[in-house]
Amino acid sequence: MNRPFRILLRHVLLMLLAAIWLTPIFWLVVTSFGTDSGPNIRSFFPADYTLAHYEALLFGTDSVSQFPQWFLNTLIVAVFTCLISTAFVLMVAYAMSCMRFPARKPMMNIAIILNLFPGFLSMIAVYFILKEVGLTNSLTGLTIIYSAGSGMGYLIAKGFFDTISRSLREAAYLEGANEFTVFWRIILPLSKPIVVYTVINTFLMPWMDFVFASIMMNSGVASEKTVALGLFSMVDKVNRNRYFAQFCAGGVLVSIPISVLFIIMQKFYVEGITGGSVKG
Amino acid sequence: MRKLMAIMLALLLTGLTGCTGAEPAPDAASPEIPLRVWVGDNADIPWMEQVIADFKAAHPERTYRIEIGVQNEGDCAKVILSDVEAAADVFTFADDQMTSLLNAGALMPLQENAQSIRNANTPESVEAATGVDGQLYAYPATADNGYFLFYNTDYLSESDVQTFSGLLDKASDAGKKVAFPMANGWYFYSWFKGAGLDMHLSDDGVTNVCNWNAADTPITGAEVVQALLDISAHPGFIEADSDPFVAGLKDGSIIAGVSGTWNAAVAAESWGDSYAAAKLPTYTVDGQEVQMASFSGFKLVGVNAYSSYVGDAMDLAAFMTAKDAQLQRFRLRRQGPSNVEALSDPAVQAEPAIAAIIAQAPYATVQRVGSKYWDASAALGKIIVNGNPDSIDLQTLLDNCVAGITAPADQ
Amino acid sequence: MGKNTSPQRRTRQQPVLLRFFAALSRFLAGAWHAFRDGDASVKLSALIWGASCFRRRQFFKGVLLCLEQLVFIALIVILSPDLIKLGSLGEVQAQRVYDPVTRRNVWNDYDNSFLILLFGVICLFLLALMIIQWLRNLRHARQTELMARKGRHIPTFAEDAANYFGRKFHRTLLTLPTLGVVCFTIIPLLVMIAIAFTNYDRNHLVPTNLFTWVGLTNFRSLVSMTSSSSFAYAFRNVLAWTLIWAVLASLSCYIIGILMAMLISHRDTRGKRFWRTCFTVAMAVPQFVSLLLVRNLFADVGIVNTLCKSCGITDWLHNIGAIPTANVIPFLTHPAWAKPMILLINIWVGVPYQMLIATGILMNIPGELLEAARIDGANAWQSFRNITMPYILFITGPSLVNSIVSNINNFNVIWLLSRDVYTTSDQLMAAAGATEVDLLVTWLYRLTQDQSNYKMASVIGILVFIVCAALTLTAFSRLTRGDREGAFQ
Repeated sequence: MNRPFRILLRHVLLMLLAAIWLTPIFWLVVTSFGTDSGPNIRSFFPADYTLAHYEALLFGTDSVSQFPQWFLNTLIVAVFTCLISTAFVLMVAYAMSCMRFPARKPMMNIAIILNLFPGFLSMIAVYFILKEVGLTNSLTGLTIIYSAGSGMGYLIAKGFFDTISRSLREAAYLEGANEFTVFWRIILPLSKPIVVYTVINTFLMPWMDFVFASIMMNSGVASEKTVALGLFSMVDKVNRNRYFAQFCAGGVLVSIPISVLFIIMQKFYVEGITGGSVKG
Repeated sequence: MRKLMAIMLALLLTGLTGCTGAEPAPDAASPEIPLRVWVGDNADIPWMEQVIADFKAAHPERTYRIEIGVQNEGDCAKVILSDVEAAADVFTFADDQMTSLLNAGALMPLQENAQSIRNANTPESVEAATGVDGQLYAYPATADNGYFLFYNTDYLSESDVQTFSGLLDKASDAGKKVAFPMANGWYFYSWFKGAGLDMHLSDDGVTNVCNWNAADTPITGAEVVQALLDISAHPGFIEADSDPFVAGLKDGSIIAGVSGTWNAAVAAESWGDSYAAAKLPTYTVDGQEVQMASFSGFKLVGVNAYSSYVGDAMDLAAFMTAKDAQLQRFRLRRQGPSNVEALSDPAVQAEPAIAAIIAQAPYATVQRVGSKYWDASAALGKIIVNGNPDSIDLQTLLDNCVAGITAPADQ
Repeated sequence: MGKNTSPQRRTRQQPVLLRFFAALSRFLAGAWHAFRDGDASVKLSALIWGASCFRRRQFFKGVLLCLEQLVFIALIVILSPDLIKLGSLGEVQAQRVYDPVTRRNVWNDYDNSFLILLFGVICLFLLALMIIQWLRNLRHARQTELMARKGRHIPTFAEDAANYFGRKFHRTLLTLPTLGVVCFTIIPLLVMIAIAFTNYDRNHLVPTNLFTWVGLTNFRSLVSMTSSSSFAYAFRNVLAWTLIWAVLASLSCYIIGILMAMLISHRDTRGKRFWRTCFTVAMAVPQFVSLLLVRNLFADVGIVNTLCKSCGITDWLHNIGAIPTANVIPFLTHPAWAKPMILLINIWVGVPYQMLIATGILMNIPGELLEAARIDGANAWQSFRNITMPYILFITGPSLVNSIVSNINNFNVIWLLSRDVYTTSDQLMAAAGATEVDLLVTWLYRLTQDQSNYKMASVIGILVFIVCAALTLTAFSRLTRGDREGAFQ
């Protein structure tokens, strides 16, 4: 085979793969603009196009879909989860990577062990703990759920910190810097990729999760839902035929900011994962 | 670290224990009474808002703050069982969940006007709302939660819809389908009950009694299963639960099917003037025609026994199931009333779906089923739909199924 | 580099349990010696934690210690009723009386088994913490005494505090994260593990009913097949599918992800960033949206079925006997179709992420290695086989094990694709509330949410842990023996 042909073949293959990956997404977008309010099963493209679903989603007074409210709820939870979790992850990662203390190994082992339990095994107990403090059905409670255990996800960040040369830190110690200064002024500024990676991951959690949210938010009141819960309720047995297109529209609206975030941060994100998982 | 940790823990836990077991004990003279009510569907919200406005107007001496939540009537018990105390004060549920709710102690027996509720509603709906101890545990809200036959008069005549074979033959001649949700225990029951076989809740209120696999019944279960295999294999048959049924209505491929009032609007919309409803047909088993039975279904309104304001919650529940509210509900949502007076309203009588439910009523049983019934019967239904691919002996299938249905509920 | 799996390291390592008990006995002995040899103030601090500090003029620290002790005692006293009832999990059944005057229910002072269990566990935890703290404090008091005897400087409170940003910075860093993990992971886990030994199910739901300890009964019903219980059967099948799923799902995503990354990163590929973005977009759609979407695409009445029907694929499949009915292709409703479909959909969902990781790793392959290989006359395949592949394997090997473990716990894909869609036709599975496509975790979830069968859910949860632990231990003892992190710094 000659080279130009191989190059052509390579690009055709890529196009094919991209088509496989993007077709469902494309269907999501066209369905959200279609006139059918239930799933469109007649043809790939809708018979006619309309903005009605977006309008209903964003400005509708329907008490089912309170999308702007859900979006706001999720955003609030996401911002705080992101702040707390990122701080936790970086703090634990620094302690485990750059410091040596007797409890270090045992703690790392415990984290490994805890990660082996299925996460929602403990959800019922967590639910009752939060209920005793009156935090179920509240955004605070959700934030706690998403961020409390985040310290255990330190491994990738630790892997990244491990690659930062020790001599940098040692020079700082010689100049009389304490651990805090080293962490704050030396390690963190060098860790942009892993910070971005952690921020993205923790920020996305509340947008993606519905299991924990559905256990925590059991009041059934529409205005208390997160985006995931709300969209999920649109495609249950009862609502699917009325709200499927709105679900698609909601999916599109959620995906846009996340995609933009990903595309902008792609470089950092890749560096972050690989920097960390090289030693993960 | 340990010190800090201990102190944080301490603060947190003092917070925790401060609330331990503390029943929300609101002040008796508190100006505002908070109540939360769950309706079964988003589309019920406008109706509920109207009812609440009327309720507030009818009780000017008290101030209510009433919040509406949505909890599918079919899943309501699951959510309530996971935490009764967090559930709504007043909730709507399908009567099949009566047993699990009673076992969990979630329902408050009616205190003040039980007799008038009994008198105002149809006897079947009252039976559905009565617990094993004979007390009334819920307020009948609708009597339309059963199933019946939808059909399209363009293709089918009134005589065609008398028998299932008539339906199937006409459908396959026209290249269309007759839908039945075979892999769903709720509907699946009608074949066996129709053939005189029985399955019901045993006296312990938890497990089931079932004679589907017995050898000494006039029509045996194996004969029923054989009849169902024949029906499933008929070219005019399609197994279709709610979603596929709706899809089939819309694209015109389904011309008849068994479903409930919740799909009446779609059917009416898709078929226009050709939309009609009737009682379930007969079907052929062991050479004879037997009338298909059914579960009668009711939506009930329950009051949470753990509500802080059970009295007010019962007032609201009674109000939202009274004649006026039921008629309003019929007007807004086409749901058939359980209230005797509301049921005799000419507009209600004229509704085909409700007429069909009334016609099916003599063959319907109130649903009292233990939780183990559903998965086991659905599995058998699924095997039948797939045409018993492994060619398992029919009696074995039934034995397995009955073992599943009658299994102790704690497994 | 990190491959220091030297034999002497292995021999030096004693079993974990042995090391733990050795450390424990050293700790206890240390505390005892401190108490025995210490002066009066040290002995007194066994009773009043701050005593020794006051003697050494560390007033502030002394006050803090006493306060800590008080808080501990107060908490334990507050929680002690639950601790006492922990043995029976409560005996007073809830009873209500309707008061027609206030129109409210009056409840007796009933026991809630779950809360007793929860607070009992918390109380035990606090008790253990208090004892540790008490012993530590004794040792610490003795050390300070010795320092004072030798005339060394005893740190002031300000110095102690400054230490928390220096030598003891890890304590400052780890306090809050550990607290979060303890309160919202460890304690809940302990409670849920305990539930596996109770009869907490739909017949014993709190607060109306009580549940109590039943020992190993639940575990027995998982291994022994009785006429009324098919849990053993369901468990075997679900476990088998879970393992098959985990291996296939991980390997398929892993291999295809790497291949795709190579395809994109190849020097002949134009518009690398564009292609990468194409796949990243698929990743940015929240998983539940994309999965619910795909599930509707492949539903029995879904667009794919319509298309297949209209171009004759459905009929063809029916003719060759691949589908039971002529009407639909049961993509997600028939076990023989649903399992491969779920694996394929998982590839669709999981590959972009794997591709991003692999892309990053490929960028890091030392260029000179590949260059040297080319000069030596190696063709593309040889340099892939001998350089690229070993490099990727070395770096991502451990993550492959992680991904198998996380696929064992991969709830979303299976649940979102099978919920309300898949009905099992296996009667024994149905009787246990499981389906053929269920993983252990989705079965666990189904048991809690649909059947309120918490006891069996906990048993399954524990077994999931055991499976994951066994897998991780065997894999990691080969892959990452010892401490690799030092090698790179």
